[in-house]
Amino acid sequence: MASKCQVRSLCRSLLRAGRQFPDYNIREYTKRRTLDGFRMNKSLTDQSKVNEAYAEGKAQLEVVERVLKVYSAYPPKTKNIMELKLQ
Amino acid sequence: MASKVIYSTIRRTLTKPHGAVSRRHHLSTAAAATTTATAVDNYNDKSGIVMKGVRISGRPLYLDMQSTTPLDPRVFDAINASSIYDYGNPHSRTHLYGWEAENAVEVARNQVAKLIGASPKEIVFLSGATEANNTAVKGVMHFYKEKKKHVITTQTEHKCVLDSCRHLEQEGFEVTYLPVKTDGLVDVEMLREAIRPDTGLVSVMAVNNEIGVVQPMEEIGRICKEHKIPFHTDAAQAIGKIPVDVEKWNVSLMSMSGHKIYGPKGVGALYVRRRPRIRLEPLMNGGGQERGLRSGTLSTQQVVGFGVACELAMKEMEYDEQWIKRLQERLLNGVREKLDGVVVNGSMENRYVGNLNLSFAYVEGESLLMGLKEVAVSSGSACTSASLEPSYVLRALGVDEDMAHTSIRFGIGRFTTEEEIDKAIELTVKQVEKLREMSPLYEMVKEGIDIKNIQWSQH
Repeated sequence: MASKCQVRSLCRSLLRAGRQFPDYNIREYTKRRTLDGFRMNKSLTDQSKVNEAYAEGKAQLEVVERVLKVYSAYPPKTKNIMELKLQ
Repeated sequence: MASKVIYSTIRRTLTKPHGAVSRRHHLSTAAAATTTATAVDNYNDKSGIVMKGVRISGRPLYLDMQSTTPLDPRVFDAINASSIYDYGNPHSRTHLYGWEAENAVEVARNQVAKLIGASPKEIVFLSGATEANNTAVKGVMHFYKEKKKHVITTQTEHKCVLDSCRHLEQEGFEVTYLPVKTDGLVDVEMLREAIRPDTGLVSVMAVNNEIGVVQPMEEIGRICKEHKIPFHTDAAQAIGKIPVDVEKWNVSLMSMSGHKIYGPKGVGALYVRRRPRIRLEPLMNGGGQERGLRSGTLSTQQVVGFGVACELAMKEMEYDEQWIKRLQERLLNGVREKLDGVVVNGSMENRYVGNLNLSFAYVEGESLLMGLKEVAVSSGSACTSASLEPSYVLRALGVDEDMAHTSIRFGIGRFTTEEEIDKAIELTVKQVEKLREMSPLYEMVKEGIDIKNIQWSQH
């Protein structure tokens, strides 16, 4: 059974991992998708539904942690326009 | 004609100083890059990237999602996992390696089938939507060539369908290219009238790649069913973006592509209906894989990636659409707020939200694209982006030559951010204003002269 504390910790872990993506678009997407995902499931009260969502989030975190290693090994050669302070 | 002359002078005055400046700056690195032809040298410059003689300060923001999409990290993860152990030939029946690879392929087949409401047995994997379209159009007509001699398609189809049709014409088949209305939609009544007793195939694409209009698929499907004619659709731009159901649309054949839905490139699928059975002559002959319709060993990893991309697309469709719709509105409103003479090409009501094809009056399209180096956009499809000719799709819509020349296709996708849209608006507006300032045409319009009534002298 996933407690409130566990859910919050999962959200934080996802955000923390997502921040490390070297690619601008994927970094931003991970952040937005994580926040929206938790927001969408905020109203869940049925414990089995909560567990289901928690398990899914956990699986997503595993994916992020796995691919993050590869993405970090191959950082982009140049930064995205959006990351540069233009004139 | 005369307007072209003016445009070309603008272009000349525009590119000259720009080219001169950049050439002086990157002489050393650019020269090295062209002689040794190593990609790495292009990035050694401290102040940005120099490629094809163009200096860009960073990676441009990507707004060309109709040409292709980036790989989703979740798809990447699935491909990675499959790359390590699923190396057996999925068609090997004698050992575990083959069985495992086959299982992986069958899982993907299920995922693809589920997205479009089909049975997994009706999915044929191949190299992409171009191969799927070729197989469908040529394959059906070749198989039924004794009785059926006529194909109906539209003028706004993708090049691979049009070219397949042209190929058929050379073989003696007849093709009707249906015109479209000014909003890009097919006139269903016209389609009904074009049907002949020897019509063997109707091919209409679901979502247009250049203008993003969604054709009335259900209606077309109904007409084809009434006349018992196979209906093929190119749904490369549609699957995973709008709800697709092969039963509702009543399609007999449907082309799909992996790289338009954040999957890998080089993989696609053709849906081939089993009941009523539609038969085709394969393009590839050989080992008889994929029900004999596409011989050749399947690329297990790409197929796996395509499958996962389909599953993701199904799960994320609603969420993505809401986001993309918001960005599309933001982009359109932002540009319209600051610029006049902006026209949306194609129907706004029947349109996939991730596509915004805009024409900017009194601006030359090529100069606009050249000036928008920080935004990765295109004037139309990637296949024809090398030519200076205006898009044949826009011409089929009856868009004026000058407006067709200035079209830009903005493609918004899953990974596009709000800040990118704001930046794109800023850069586009800046560039359009700059070009208009130089444009004698725009000056005349502002003075109240109707350009259409001017009698240009002939050269």
